[in-house]
Amino acid sequence: MAEMEVKSGGGHKKGPGVKKSKKLSTRVDLTPMCDLGFLLITFFIFTTTMSQPTAMNLAMPKDTDKPDELNKVKESGALTIMMGKGDVVYYYFSNDPTKLQTTGYKDIRGIILEKKKNTPADDLFITIKPDKDATYKNAVDILDEMAINTIKRYAMVDPTDDEYKLIQLTEQAGGIK
Amino acid sequence: MGRAKIKRGNTNVDMTAMCDVAFLLLSFFILTTHFKPSDAVEVQPPSSVASKIAPEKDAFMVSIKMDGKVFIQMSNDMKGDVIDELSTARNLNLSAEDKKYFIQSYFVGTPLSQLTQFIRLKPEDMSKVKLTGVPVDSTNNELQAWINAAINAYKGRKINFLIKGDNNSKYIVFRNVINAFKKNEVFKYQLVTNPEGIPLGSELEKKNLAGESAPEQ
Repeated sequence: MAEMEVKSGGGHKKGPGVKKSKKLSTRVDLTPMCDLGFLLITFFIFTTTMSQPTAMNLAMPKDTDKPDELNKVKESGALTIMMGKGDVVYYYFSNDPTKLQTTGYKDIRGIILEKKKNTPADDLFITIKPDKDATYKNAVDILDEMAINTIKRYAMVDPTDDEYKLIQLTEQAGGIK
Repeated sequence: MGRAKIKRGNTNVDMTAMCDVAFLLLSFFILTTHFKPSDAVEVQPPSSVASKIAPEKDAFMVSIKMDGKVFIQMSNDMKGDVIDELSTARNLNLSAEDKKYFIQSYFVGTPLSQLTQFIRLKPEDMSKVKLTGVPVDSTNNELQAWINAAINAYKGRKINFLIKGDNNSKYIVFRNVINAFKKNEVFKYQLVTNPEGIPLGSELEKKNLAGESAPEQ
């Protein structure tokens, strides 16, 4: 307790002329200090839990040249998503890169869902091809879309030279820097 | 009939005990939180819906900075074994003192040729020196050697391979890092991201609501 008992002198009787000293209360109001303590606690709790980073699992396939070890993809279920510079996304269905279409990161979810709805679940395969100018964020964003739309089969590979040229042509035509 | 007098209670509550508890908790939290020396490599990771907390034990983290430089951070308990392994594999002739300095250092940010000078830098001098990063290009892939040393040092035990890339770093650097892992037959990594809410109405949200197990990616 914040109080101290002040005992009067040990056994001596005071004479009639000795004045009694006034007893001052030593009690301090601790309410503001208590408030401050809890305020600091809440501050520390909030700041520590917020900065906890999360991790996203990524499994890459082993590089192989043997044709029978390669994954086979049905043409009807294939969707290729390519990322270029300036946060622009390109996509095409089946295996015809010349039918390249341009979109953005906000609209790609709709396209993936549309494709998912129209394809049997086992046939759907999404190929992700970030090109040389794409940023790491672009790759993570698209991988995240796979998680959001619960796509089971997808792979991340490099674009072919033809595809890269097509992207560059589209970029030049659209004036994307 | 005399009315019973209502006793006026003292409304003054003794706050001492509560105050004690508050400060006890406060000191507990302050002492138990450990500040990460991650400021050494400044990286702003992208956000994702992944909800798993990034592991800190047995972690081998490759950071990619905005300018494409690659840095390695390891958990403290594995540093000793890794540097022993690497110095025999690459004939680095590191002295016992070098190894002690290495264990104290926070991260690896230079080619092996400059490693001994680098680990002697004091943390406050670190920002003044221009760090070149660990080479990852195909001609001189030292990251591969580091990964190899980590795997050999941790024979049989699992290492958490983490990749932490900056938002604006180029994908091509990330691919070089992945290639270094691939050459060591490591195919599973965890990408460090900032947490983000799951978009409303998305399939993942429905799946989580349906009570299925955590999303496997």
